[in-house]
Amino acid sequence: MAGIATDNPGAVVLLVGNEAVARGAIEAGIGVAAAYPGSPTSEILPTIAGVAGERDIHVEWSANEKVATEVAAAASLAGIRSLAVMKQNGLNIAADFIVNLNMTGSGEGGMVIFVADDPGGMTSSNEQDSRMVAKWIDNPLLEAENAQEAKEMLKWAYELSEKLKLPVFLRGVTRLCYTRGNVTLGELPPRSRKKAYFPAIWDMYNPTKSKFTAGPSPVAHRDLHEKLEVARGVFEESPFNHYSGPDNPELLIIASGVCTSYSAEALKVLNIEERVGLLKLGTVWPLPEKLVAKWLSSTGKVLFVEETDPFIEQSVMELAADRLPEMGGIVFYGKRSGHLAPCNEQSTDLVMAALTDILGLPPQFRDSDYQKSAEEAMKLVPNRPINMCAGCPHRATFWAVKNAIALDGRKGFVCGDIGCYSMSFAAPGFYQARTMHAMGSGTGLANGFGNMQRFGFDQPVLAVSGDSTFYHAVLPALVSGVYNKANFTLLILDNSATAMTGFQPHPGTGLLATGEMAPVVDMEGLCRAVGAEVRVCDPFVLGEATRTIVEMMQNESGPRVIIMRHMCQLLKAKRKISDKYRVQVDRERCLGDSCGCDRLCTRIFGCPGLMWDSGAKKAAIDEALCVGCGLCSDICPAGAIKKEEVN
Amino acid sequence: MSSAKGGSKDLLEEVINAGLCTGCGACVTGCPYIVVRGGRIIVLDRCTIAAGDCYRHCPRTRTDMNLVSDRVFGVPFSSDETGHALTIAMARSADKRISDRAQDGGTVTALLAFALAEGMIDAVVCTKMDEDKAPHGFIAHSRDELLQCAGASYEAGFALEAFRKIPAGSADRLAAVGVGCQLESLAKMKADPPVNGGNPARLQLTVGLFCGWSLRSGYFRPILRGICDPARIVKFDIPHSPHTSFDAYTQEGRKSVPLDEIRAAINPACQYCWDMTAEFSDISVGSAGSKFPGWNTIVIRTEKGAELVGRARDAGIVESEPLPEWRLSQLKTAALNRKKAAFKKIAEKSGDSHDLLHIAGLAEGFADRLLEG
Repeated sequence: MAGIATDNPGAVVLLVGNEAVARGAIEAGIGVAAAYPGSPTSEILPTIAGVAGERDIHVEWSANEKVATEVAAAASLAGIRSLAVMKQNGLNIAADFIVNLNMTGSGEGGMVIFVADDPGGMTSSNEQDSRMVAKWIDNPLLEAENAQEAKEMLKWAYELSEKLKLPVFLRGVTRLCYTRGNVTLGELPPRSRKKAYFPAIWDMYNPTKSKFTAGPSPVAHRDLHEKLEVARGVFEESPFNHYSGPDNPELLIIASGVCTSYSAEALKVLNIEERVGLLKLGTVWPLPEKLVAKWLSSTGKVLFVEETDPFIEQSVMELAADRLPEMGGIVFYGKRSGHLAPCNEQSTDLVMAALTDILGLPPQFRDSDYQKSAEEAMKLVPNRPINMCAGCPHRATFWAVKNAIALDGRKGFVCGDIGCYSMSFAAPGFYQARTMHAMGSGTGLANGFGNMQRFGFDQPVLAVSGDSTFYHAVLPALVSGVYNKANFTLLILDNSATAMTGFQPHPGTGLLATGEMAPVVDMEGLCRAVGAEVRVCDPFVLGEATRTIVEMMQNESGPRVIIMRHMCQLLKAKRKISDKYRVQVDRERCLGDSCGCDRLCTRIFGCPGLMWDSGAKKAAIDEALCVGCGLCSDICPAGAIKKEEVN
Repeated sequence: MSSAKGGSKDLLEEVINAGLCTGCGACVTGCPYIVVRGGRIIVLDRCTIAAGDCYRHCPRTRTDMNLVSDRVFGVPFSSDETGHALTIAMARSADKRISDRAQDGGTVTALLAFALAEGMIDAVVCTKMDEDKAPHGFIAHSRDELLQCAGASYEAGFALEAFRKIPAGSADRLAAVGVGCQLESLAKMKADPPVNGGNPARLQLTVGLFCGWSLRSGYFRPILRGICDPARIVKFDIPHSPHTSFDAYTQEGRKSVPLDEIRAAINPACQYCWDMTAEFSDISVGSAGSKFPGWNTIVIRTEKGAELVGRARDAGIVESEPLPEWRLSQLKTAALNRKKAAFKKIAEKSGDSHDLLHIAGLAEGFADRLLEG
């Protein structure tokens, strides 16, 4: 959005959820924002970075989410409002800090952690319900229904954080982050803010005053629970909890976040708004028990609608069990009853199906031709398998890796990691990655595999890492590998960007989140300094890359590092760096699907810049997609793909 | 059709993984999916061709022996121990510079250098040892390049892989040098031309090398490295008498390995080979035996072969002598024993004396005579 910091209170603008979160933070007057990129949250930090100078905000891409959260916490301790942003996986990394921060509490400046889950795992390796963390570490958590509410909740969360001296979680989901909605702008705070000051100066007469060290735990933990009770009291009166429907509903829906909208729509379509009540909870943890108990006692049936785990469902059932004598028997529907699934995304259709089943209504679609329209729409969507971009250097790397492993012949394998190259578990990377878990876990697993020789393990082990992933979580695993003499080869796929989440800069790029120049943290130097043998290769020089990988695989010693360096093609396009070649297929020479080729370029190599002309039974170049990298010309067995230098 | 149909998956299952691959290199010739590395055939990617050249031309897939022989020689597969032959004699290079570098008499190098010089051929598909004395397919265009290829390697050279190194559309008239399995594959290509892997019609001349077995690199290389730096090796030899050692002549002198130790590295697939004297050739050449050091035994099988030897002799390039009867008889016995042993092993593997796997299309009773006794 142009002008996210527009000072025009009352104006209604169309904002995507992530922009609304950014706007909320700006309206709340944050001074520090820190994050590590992760879909579906990646756009929040750049949006704030775009006005960092204008609004005098320190905005940074930290090396990982734990550092980002620590940076935000420091600001809070120094009295500056701060925001840490992460996706669900990032929260797990930050958790170790947060489970100690809860003990010391945050500072005078409010601190909000915006964490977004990805139900259905559309852009994630896992599916998880981050709300569980709030319960686990006794921190308050809010859930926003739409863009407008996300903005308002964020501002409110700062007040709550400052009241409690605790970080407050705001949980989003993919549908919130990436859905556009009308947002009414609020007032912007003055650009100047009070001086940052950390109050924990040692007072010789009162040495325990103003200290922020975790412990003694039992005392801190007790204090934390007291803070949570204060939060619960605030939540009982919160404007973000809302009931609509009859006084004594036949069925009560308790919903949170985007599921509130799905539920409201389902009730409207089924025309049962007079029969069924909808209690929307914006303050999800700790549960506002009085409010919930009040509505529980108004009905005999309750349906829970929430994204992923039965979080509210279990909290409410706990409450109901506690108050069984006064409430009597209530029938609960939701994930436990099987009316909704504790995985994948929820939707209006799923809520309608649950409602019609519970109420004994005939199955119904959103409108009479909804099903038909949906089917028609599906026909318009081409069936596109996941793929790396045309000219992607990862394709070149995995081509070399695939051949190197085959040539080595000892059943070597690749421990995958998180990034565009995660796709190497499938056809785009020739099925090379055989494991894929968390950031840096490929190298961690390689450490383990690389130290099992005593058990007869004799397969070569390769790990892959992106450049950004390397700084994020691979470095400790590499250090550990050198120290423990683990036998593996690490390939760092250095494409000069955090490509999968949208080309965010990282410590190796020489750029800050704001686009300003930064020192380059030398990846090669780092690897050498920790004691690994290091080679640098251009994956587009396929033969040399393959030979280097084979050589390094067979060099049985501690960790070896090969930096596969070639800039991401999309980044090249953004920076208007054009590739050198005009690529064409000589149809006379193309062997097509006959013996001696069998469509090697379109069937195995699979660059989207190549097309199979099924009429002519020849390969062709898709001029719209081809970036002119020329790699296909090197793999064509018939010399039919010609590359010609253009200037 | 002289051969059965199959794709690379069948080749993997029935030949490579079944322990029948001899390492001839034919499947590599025109294929982007199959490569050679470290003495092994490797299939890099899945190919979906159901009837591929790789399978069709493999000497270890079903071969209609009579049909292939008919296409090569115009006669059915010979029942002679040493195959279809016009003349069997002794020969050697008249040029000491060649015979000094050669394994025995230098006849192969001399004949091919002569054919190149006379413009009968433009290039030779052969095997060249690299600086570590590991063999690779090579295209020799000159006498000097041919001389670099002289001398025996005891590993499978996958020489036919060199076909892929000839630029597409190149009109070279070629000669090829190889052992039995390699020439059988070339004969299959002639009988049933490849779809895309070059044109076997440009193959003007084939020179066969007598072969007892070949060694698997994965087993042989460690033994070799154990006795010397392979880069220092000048020549390999297995002396006829006493027939107990494998010798590597290095710049520092002779290094020997007991022959039995070397035998453990023999490619087990060679047990199924019936072809000691490379029967699908124009000319086959081997050692003349311990009584005739510096001489070759030469089997001339075709008119083309006879013409080349005749012209080379007339030009003083090679010298020849008749092969003594006793030596011929010794050769035939050895070749027959090889055939008998191979047929027996093949029948054992298939579990049926009427199913000789890759050997098919023989006349009634042909195999029975070899399987008896």
